[in-house]
Amino acid sequence: MTAVLGADLGRGSGPLTGVGLAFRRALRADRWFWLIWVLVLWSFIPATATAYRSTISDDAAGREVAAGLAANPTMRAMLGPPYDLLHVGGFTMWRVGGFVAMISGVMAVLGVIRATRAEEEAGRTELLRSAAIGRHALLAGAVGLGLAASGVLGLLIAASAVGLGTPVAGSLCMALGIALTAAVFVGVGAVTAQLSASARTARGVGLSVVGAAYLLRAVADGSGTSVRWLGWLSPVEWAPLARPYAAERWWVLLLPLVVAAGLIALAFSLEARRDHGAGLRAARPGPARGGEAFDSADALAWRLARPGMIGWGVGLIAFAVVMGSLADVFETVADSPELAERFRRMGAGAADLRLAFFVAMLGILVVLVAIWALQLVEHIRKEEESGRAEAVLATATSRPRYLGAHVIPAVVVPTLVLAAIGVLLPLQSGIATKDVGLIGRVLGGALALAPGVWLVLGVAVAVHGLAPQLALLPWVVVGWSLVVNWIGGVLGFSESLLKTTPFGLLPRLPAEPMAWTPVIVESVVAGLLIAAGFWGYQRRDVG
Amino acid sequence: MRYVSAVIDISGLVKTFGPTRALDGLDLRVEAGQVHGFLGPNGSGKSTTIRVLLGLLRPDAGTARLLGGDPWADAPALHRRLAYVPGDVSLWPNLSGGEIIDLLGRARGGLDGPRRAELIDRFELDPTKKGRSYSKGNRQKVALVAALSSDVELLLLDEPTSGLDPLMERVFNQVVAAERDRGRTVLLSSHILSEVESLCDHVSIIRAGKLVESGTLADLRHLTRTLINVESDSPPRQLAEVPGVHEVQVTGRLLTAQVDATAMGEVLGILAGSGVRSFTATPPTLEELFLRHYDGTS
Repeated sequence: MTAVLGADLGRGSGPLTGVGLAFRRALRADRWFWLIWVLVLWSFIPATATAYRSTISDDAAGREVAAGLAANPTMRAMLGPPYDLLHVGGFTMWRVGGFVAMISGVMAVLGVIRATRAEEEAGRTELLRSAAIGRHALLAGAVGLGLAASGVLGLLIAASAVGLGTPVAGSLCMALGIALTAAVFVGVGAVTAQLSASARTARGVGLSVVGAAYLLRAVADGSGTSVRWLGWLSPVEWAPLARPYAAERWWVLLLPLVVAAGLIALAFSLEARRDHGAGLRAARPGPARGGEAFDSADALAWRLARPGMIGWGVGLIAFAVVMGSLADVFETVADSPELAERFRRMGAGAADLRLAFFVAMLGILVVLVAIWALQLVEHIRKEEESGRAEAVLATATSRPRYLGAHVIPAVVVPTLVLAAIGVLLPLQSGIATKDVGLIGRVLGGALALAPGVWLVLGVAVAVHGLAPQLALLPWVVVGWSLVVNWIGGVLGFSESLLKTTPFGLLPRLPAEPMAWTPVIVESVVAGLLIAAGFWGYQRRDVG
Repeated sequence: MRYVSAVIDISGLVKTFGPTRALDGLDLRVEAGQVHGFLGPNGSGKSTTIRVLLGLLRPDAGTARLLGGDPWADAPALHRRLAYVPGDVSLWPNLSGGEIIDLLGRARGGLDGPRRAELIDRFELDPTKKGRSYSKGNRQKVALVAALSSDVELLLLDEPTSGLDPLMERVFNQVVAAERDRGRTVLLSSHILSEVESLCDHVSIIRAGKLVESGTLADLRHLTRTLINVESDSPPRQLAEVPGVHEVQVTGRLLTAQVDATAMGEVLGILAGSGVRSFTATPPTLEELFLRHYDGTS
C-alpha cells in the first residue's frame, strides 16, 4: 500500500507540478489583457519611427530642431537625455523607447497580480490548488506568461524597427532593453503579489515602484550632471542607458537580467513562506465596534477611498515637488521660429522655458489626477457588482445620497490636490527667483484644467446612472488623453486631434491667455452629465 | 401597531430581465405578525421579489405595497422600519465584522447595543475579524446580527441559514421564534423546508415567478395525501375502490396507501371492521408538498 502511494507521489509532485496547466489557464483568462497591452505598446515604436521625417527634416532646419530638442530641459526631464536625434532609430528610442519601457512595467505589474493575487483573493485559486498542482505552479505560470508577453513585445519591436530600416544592432538593443525592463516588473509584480492579502494593495505598491523609478530618472536627467548617477538606480532608465543606436553598451542589459531573475527568485521564496490566501504578515484583528462617526454611506465611501487617497495624494504631490525642483535651473532662451513652434506644441507656446515646463507638467499631471478621480467613482461600480451596494441601499440611505457619498469626494479631493500641485510645482522656482506672482499664475493654470477632470467624472457618473454596461467608456477617454498629452505633440498628431481630449480645449495658462468659454462650457457640461447620472441612478435597477 | 392593509401586498407583479421573465404576475400577501415562509426552488423569483420590495428593482407591471408605502418611491423611509439579510452576503474585505454591523445598523436608523452584544454572543461571532477572512457561515452571521440588532417591524430574510451549521441554525430558529413572539412580521425565503415548517405559520409557494399556493400550513395539508401503514389479519383490499384512495399495496398482512383528506373518514370506517393490529398515519411533509408542485407533472 505504501509502495503504491509512494509510486503515485513520485510521479510529478514537485512545487512546480502543473505549471503548464497554470500557464494555459492564465493565458486563456487574460489573453485580451496581454494582447491589447502588447499591441498598443508596440505601436508607439513604428508610429514614431514613421513620423520621424515630418518632425525632423533632412536639412539645416531639421538639425536645428534636433539641437533645440536636445537642449530642452523639459524634454530631458520627461524623456531622458538624447544620444542621437539625427537618425530614425536614435530619435525613436529617445522619444518613446523609455516611455514604452516604463509603461511595459505597468503592464507587467498589473498582469502578474491579475493572474496571481487577484485570483487568490477572489478564492478561485483554492480550487486549482486542491488539484494536482504544486505550490509554486500558479505563480510560475503567471510569471511565465508575463515573460512571454515581454518577449513578444520585444520581438515585435525588433522586427518592426529592422523592417523600417534602422540598424539591426540598435533595434535589437532597444527591443531587448524594453523586454528586459518589462521582465524586471514581472518580478516586481510577483513580489508585491506575495506581500498583502489584498490585490488592491499589491497593485498600489507595484505601481508606486514604477512611479518612483520614473521620478528617480527624471531627477537624474533633468537636474544636470551632479546626480546623473541616480539614473542607474532606476529600472526604467536601464534601456536608455544601454544606448541603442548610439554605440550600444550591451553590458548594461545584464542589470535588468540579474534584477529580474533576483526578484522572481525572491517572489518564489516569499510564496514558500506564506499561507494560501494570506500575505506575509498575519491578518491583524480589527475593532469590535465601529467608531462613533462610522454611521452612514458617506462615512463608508470615505473609508473605502482612504487608502487610495493617501497613495495617490502623496504620489502626485511628491511628483509635483520633485518636478518643481528641476525648474529653477531653467533659463529663458531666445528661440528660432522653428523651435518656438515645437515648444508651442509641447508647452503651449511659452517662450519662457520655465513656463513651458510648468505647462507641460500640468498637462501630464492633470491626466493622472483624472485617473485617480475616476478610480474613486469606480468604487460605486465595484460595490454594486459585489452586492455590497445592495446592503447599504437596503438601509435608510436614498439613491442620491448613496451616489453622492462617492461622487462628492471624487470631485472635491482631486480638485484640491490639483490646486496643491499648482502651488507646489512653481513654489521652489518662485521663491528662488523672488517671483511670487509665478505661483499664482501656475495655480491659475492648474485650476483652468480642473473642468477637464470634472468632465471625465461627469462621463463616469452619467455612464453609471444611465448605461452601466458602458463602464469602459470613461477609461477610454482618459487613456486617449494620456496618449495625446504625453506623446501626441511630437507624434505629429494634427492640431484638431490634439484637441479631442477633455483637456485639449482648455486654455493652457499661463502660456496662453485665459479663455472663459471652454472653461465654463466644460464645467456646465460636466455638471449636466453628473446630474444626468443622478437622474438615471434613481430610475434604474440596482444589483 | 395595527395595519389597515397587509404588511406586504403584491399583486400581478411582473419583472423581466431581457428575455427572462423572473416574475410573471406574482401575488403575495403577508399580514402583520405573520412569520411567512416564501418557498420556491432556485431561480423561481424569490430574491427578485425581495429586491422589488427593497426598491432595488423596479417592476414592469403590477403593484407592490410594503408597510403601507410604495417600496420604490418611499425606499429610505420604509427601510428604517425593516431589516434585510441577503442570501449571498458580501462583506467589505477591510472592515471588521463589528464595524460592518454598526455601519448597517446605524445607517438603518440605529441599533440596540445590548441586543447586539447578546446576538454576537449567541451566534458565537468574532466581531474583530476582517470581512475578507470570514467563512461563508460567519459572513451570514454578520448579516444576521446586523439585521436582528435593529428594532424594526419587518424582517426580510433571503435564505438566511445557508452556510450555518445545525447548531447555529437552531440558535437562528430560537431567535426568529422570539421575534415572532414580540410581534414582528417576518418574510423568510427558503428552499430548506424543515426550517420553514418549524418556524412559519403561513407559507407561499412560488414557481417560475408565479404564486402556486398560499395559506397556513394546515390549509396546505388539506390538499395533500396522508400515507397510512396498516397491519391486519385480513387487509381490506376494497380500500382501492374508495374515491380518494391511491396506490394501495398489500404485501401479506401489511397494507400501505395514500389517502386524500376527504376520504379519511370512510377509510377509517372500513379499517375499524377489519381486525387492525397496528396503524400509523404519516402527514405529508413540506418536502412532499414541494415535490408535487415542482416535479412538473401536477
